[in-house]
Amino acid sequence: MSDVRLVGLKKRFGDNAIVKGVDLEVQAGEFLVMVGPSGCGKTTLLRIIAGLETADEGEVYLGGQRVNELPPRERDVGMVFQSYALYPHMTVRENLAFGLTLRKLPRADIDARVAEAARMLELDALLDRKPKALSGGQRQRVAMGRVIVRRPRLFLFDEPLSNLDTALRVQMRGELSRLHRQLGVTMLYVTHDQVEAMTLATRVAVFNQGLLQQLGPPMELYLRPTNTFVAQFLGSPSMNLLTARRDGAHFRGAGFTLDAVGEASGEVKLGLRPQDLRVADEGPLRGEVLAVERLGFDGYAFLQTAAGPLAARFEGSSVEVGQTVAVRPLGDVLHVFSADGARALRHP
Amino acid sequence: MTRLRLFALNALLTLLCVATLYPVLWVVKLALSPTQTLSLSANPLPEAVTLDHFRAVLGSSDAQGRWLFGRQLLSSLVVSGATTLVGMSLAVTAAYALSRFRFPGKDSGLQLLLVTQMFPATLMLVPLYSLLQTLGLLDSLGGLVLVYATSSLPFCVWMLKGYFDTLPRELEEAALMDGASRWQVFVKIVLPLARPALAVTALFSFMQAWNEFILAATLLNDAARFTLPVALQRYVGEYKTEWGHFAAGALLISAPVMALFFALQRYLIGGLTAGAVKG
Amino acid sequence: MSRGARRVAASLLLLFASAALAAPLRLWHGYRGGEEEAIERIARQFTAETGLEVEALAVPYDALSSKLTSAIPHGAGPDVFIFAHERLRQFHRLKVVAPTPALETDRYLLPAVAALELDGAHYGYPLAIKCLALFVREGVAAPDSTDALERVLPAHLSPDTFGIAWEAGDFYFHAPILAGFGGQLFGADGRARFDTPEMARSLTWVKSLQDRALLPQEVSGALVKTLFNERRIAMAISGPWFASEIDPQLGYSVHPLPVVSQTGLPMSPFLGVEAAFDSARSEQAEAAQRLARYLSVGDATLQRVTLGRQIPAELAAWDDPLVSGDPLISAFRAAAERATPTPNTLEMARVWEPMKLALKAVLQGGVAPEDAGALADRRYRALNREALPQADPRPWLIALAVGVSWLLWRHARRPRQPSPETWLGLTWVAPAALGLLALVLIPFVIGLSLSLFHHEAGDYTFVGGANFVDILTSRGYRFNEPLSFYFTLAVTLLWTAVNVVLHVSLGLFLAILLKEPLLKLRAVYRVLLIVPWAVPNYITALMWKGMFHRQFGAINALLGLLGVEPVSWFTHWSTAFAANVITNTWLGFPFMMVVSLGALQSIPADLYEAAAVDGASRWAQFRHITLPLLRPALLPAVILGSVWTFNMFNIIYLVSGGEPGGGTDILVSEAFRWAFQRNEQYGFAAAYSVLIFVVLFVWSRITRRLSGEEPA
Repeated sequence: MSDVRLVGLKKRFGDNAIVKGVDLEVQAGEFLVMVGPSGCGKTTLLRIIAGLETADEGEVYLGGQRVNELPPRERDVGMVFQSYALYPHMTVRENLAFGLTLRKLPRADIDARVAEAARMLELDALLDRKPKALSGGQRQRVAMGRVIVRRPRLFLFDEPLSNLDTALRVQMRGELSRLHRQLGVTMLYVTHDQVEAMTLATRVAVFNQGLLQQLGPPMELYLRPTNTFVAQFLGSPSMNLLTARRDGAHFRGAGFTLDAVGEASGEVKLGLRPQDLRVADEGPLRGEVLAVERLGFDGYAFLQTAAGPLAARFEGSSVEVGQTVAVRPLGDVLHVFSADGARALRHP
Repeated sequence: MTRLRLFALNALLTLLCVATLYPVLWVVKLALSPTQTLSLSANPLPEAVTLDHFRAVLGSSDAQGRWLFGRQLLSSLVVSGATTLVGMSLAVTAAYALSRFRFPGKDSGLQLLLVTQMFPATLMLVPLYSLLQTLGLLDSLGGLVLVYATSSLPFCVWMLKGYFDTLPRELEEAALMDGASRWQVFVKIVLPLARPALAVTALFSFMQAWNEFILAATLLNDAARFTLPVALQRYVGEYKTEWGHFAAGALLISAPVMALFFALQRYLIGGLTAGAVKG
Repeated sequence: MSRGARRVAASLLLLFASAALAAPLRLWHGYRGGEEEAIERIARQFTAETGLEVEALAVPYDALSSKLTSAIPHGAGPDVFIFAHERLRQFHRLKVVAPTPALETDRYLLPAVAALELDGAHYGYPLAIKCLALFVREGVAAPDSTDALERVLPAHLSPDTFGIAWEAGDFYFHAPILAGFGGQLFGADGRARFDTPEMARSLTWVKSLQDRALLPQEVSGALVKTLFNERRIAMAISGPWFASEIDPQLGYSVHPLPVVSQTGLPMSPFLGVEAAFDSARSEQAEAAQRLARYLSVGDATLQRVTLGRQIPAELAAWDDPLVSGDPLISAFRAAAERATPTPNTLEMARVWEPMKLALKAVLQGGVAPEDAGALADRRYRALNREALPQADPRPWLIALAVGVSWLLWRHARRPRQPSPETWLGLTWVAPAALGLLALVLIPFVIGLSLSLFHHEAGDYTFVGGANFVDILTSRGYRFNEPLSFYFTLAVTLLWTAVNVVLHVSLGLFLAILLKEPLLKLRAVYRVLLIVPWAVPNYITALMWKGMFHRQFGAINALLGLLGVEPVSWFTHWSTAFAANVITNTWLGFPFMMVVSLGALQSIPADLYEAAAVDGASRWAQFRHITLPLLRPALLPAVILGSVWTFNMFNIIYLVSGGEPGGGTDILVSEAFRWAFQRNEQYGFAAAYSVLIFVVLFVWSRITRRLSGEEPA
């Protein structure tokens, strides 16, 4: 059963079209991450689902019910904001209880639910503090707790981890995953960070310029991107793209020749993940090393080739800036896209 | 900062405070001196102290034996309090709508608010008088309250709108998501957060009503319902000024406003400027 | 219950009901002290005798006339009011006063009755007369002529004493002298004439007394009182009210004003007749007439004489030994025999301002006595605008219609997608919008449109743009003198600029001082420095007005400690302007200080640390960090402050009062004078207000540019 369904959603602010027609279905219990560069419309989409914005065109269904005209409080949806949006004039306890008080739940119920959420998020000791007196991670947990106590059918997250430092972010990612397993509710999560997308999601939706580019499990998107945008957006360093032309059994580009695969003909874009390339003595691609990102024994070298910039993995210690080196692919690793990058023609 | 510089700073500030307070001390002296006249002396401390002027001002009663000062104090309090209440409740909702909602006529409305402030208030007296008569509100405290409340509205709305503009919208959205209605968001989130601005705006509208006398003197016809500034006007004639009574009355009138000022002064600094600085 | 008893009960009930229904008679007066007490007593007696309730209201004298003229035509005023007769003509034209056909003219002093006559009918019941007389200290020979006066006075001169004092800058006191020199204020056509040889001679004489120090400079009522009580003058010219101010230990006598020796004519003071008038709109006209008459005769007169020390207008009172045996009261009756009733014409009301200007100019030595008449004449003609010809309203209506439809069209043309918040937004602003519409916008629009009318005595004539033409062409006076729009505008702009600069620099300076973190008493200083803001500004104004008083002001006393000669603050433009500025600065700096304090708090401290590391001096830090970062916070405050200062009526009106000669008036106070002090020329005043509005509107546009806002 689909829990969230968007049909032909459009939204513009003045002359600026932000969402240009999005169709999307989210299954119950799913953790769907919406990812894309800033300005791609993902946050606006989230806000339309929440009821904080109204769509110009299209429909929003929650649990099968059309909710376009419903105010947020009648949608049974919870949201964690990027800035946490904790009420500064209330204690943690009051923050957590606010939504329940508005619903006029019995006092005892409220207390029980607050206590439960506080235990789950390890906030027990902080209940009587004001948000001012909390650390970033603690605030983040309060913001989540505020949604948890209400037990909505749908959790919305708007870049909730972007204000935390790296270590905390890793920890919170783990907690979010655990929470999702524990509660089993549908979660919609907006981020511009592909690592969060890859680690958290059951499915990922990639957006660009107001349109949904691809929707699927993270590894499918990584392995079988439908266009160059998705291909480059997921994976780090991002996929190398080289322009080439099919010439019989070869792809020929500026200064390189590769064995052709698949059916593509004419001009194409070749996609090569840096992980699938090795710096070697011999190889079809050559270039000057501009920079080296050493992670230890291995790392990535960033080259300037005749066909453009190229990133490739290396092992050992032999790569120096300024050197001219060769690069070879490790087996059948070639992604082939149409010349304009809009279609994938072949995946390894 | 060296000890010497700190001392110099303290000395300078003390001097400035004395200079600032000198005129006030001078009024205190007038109020406590036994005469009704000014006297040529630079010394701001009274040579002889008497409470006669205070007694005379406080104890005045009219032909029917009504205690005038008490009634006038009451009517000043009622008028100023009601003005603040009415004005603020009109202003907060309007300011919030102007800050948050999109609706036609919003920008021109805001401009219009400012524009009305540029027309000299005293010259509105003539049309206002006829208008109040049409509404049957001449010689009534209610009419006075309505006029004060509306005339302070533009300023209050602008002040509050400026402050609301600086409040993060996400807080309100979070409350909406928590299940609050627009009105609940306003009452439970926005108003508590806007407390400094509310305090300052309320103080201003109270002060404006407390101090106004031209309109009150024109509209009110019963000594027992005069506001205090109108009562004070009696002591300052074109041909004769009873300085002692005037000074005592002036102190009595200023005292509540000063008390309010001191009580609210911690809000003054934030409430006045937050809008400009953050926005 | 029997039928008869029931009928009695019913009629009793009716009687009570009607007694309860009849509203009390309202009596308005401007009296204080003994006179007020007398009126209250008489009102109680009247109630006791007639069963009619009376509600007496003592209105501040300065406000009484405007309250009467605004309330009565609206049916809201008193049934009976007490006022001096000189406003009678105006009251009559504004349909404020009812005639008194039943006045027993032979019951009262003849001149008092004459003063209340208008086109053959009488208005009001005369209560009391007031005129000037000569108060002579015990042991000084009372002079009967100016020659005698000038002979007697020099004997009383010493470095610290003078001969005689009166409020020489006030035409009420100069009028008898002018009359004594044979001057006629009004020509055959009824218009005032100032530029006459008699005027010049009378002024020369007064100036000569002052030059010989026989008459002190810049005499105020308070000074006359002080000098007389301290035995530093031998005589004073004043009215009956002066008696209550004289030290009871001091012996004195009262005499008619002397004869001017050059002409042989007596100095003839104005005779003011205070009368009880009936309102033209009283709903209980008969009872009102009864009360007014009751106030003027019999026992009421005796009460007014004994308690209020009035000089009665009722003849019968003089037979009472209580009255005729009172030396003061009979002396004033003698003085009144030489007096002429103040003309109750509209022309008379126009004389005061020009004459005050001329008198002050001569006595301060700026103008020769021969030229003063011309000066007054010019001011007189400037103030008395001829009724403007009626204009055709049609072109204006067409222009209005075109304007409105253009606005509507422009509005309708703009494509607009209906926002779901429209309804919500409109509901939330509706209460405020309704209030504003009713009580701010409607008066505002009426105020704007009044500028196209000429107002005279309750009648409005449509004159089109004539008021604006008059103002902008500065008709009747040069561009560069007071009363010209351009002069006043320049003063207003200077006033605003000087004040705002002082407010901001002082406020900022104090805020920076208070920012010092090591300051332990910071909170105390801050509270003390905010005090001026908490004082109501009219109190501030009056307080400073007192402090700038030439003889008794604290400022001159302080200057005296420093060895500086007392400054006469309001006789020179620069000092009067400075006095206004000082007052307004005291009043205004705390606001800017508080704004600056708030703004300074928002500047992160590490910026200063960074600058200090970079080697920036304190001045450089101020110049390059504080100022630029304060700008966004200070600019709105400065704009608001400039609008407030531009329209700061109270300070100008109450401190300098426009002295000298209207030179320090700003646009608002000028507009106020046209509206309320110069024959209610509302239309002209409204035109002034519109121009004020235009100036501020342009200013707000400029400042929006400055603050970098795009126009909405």
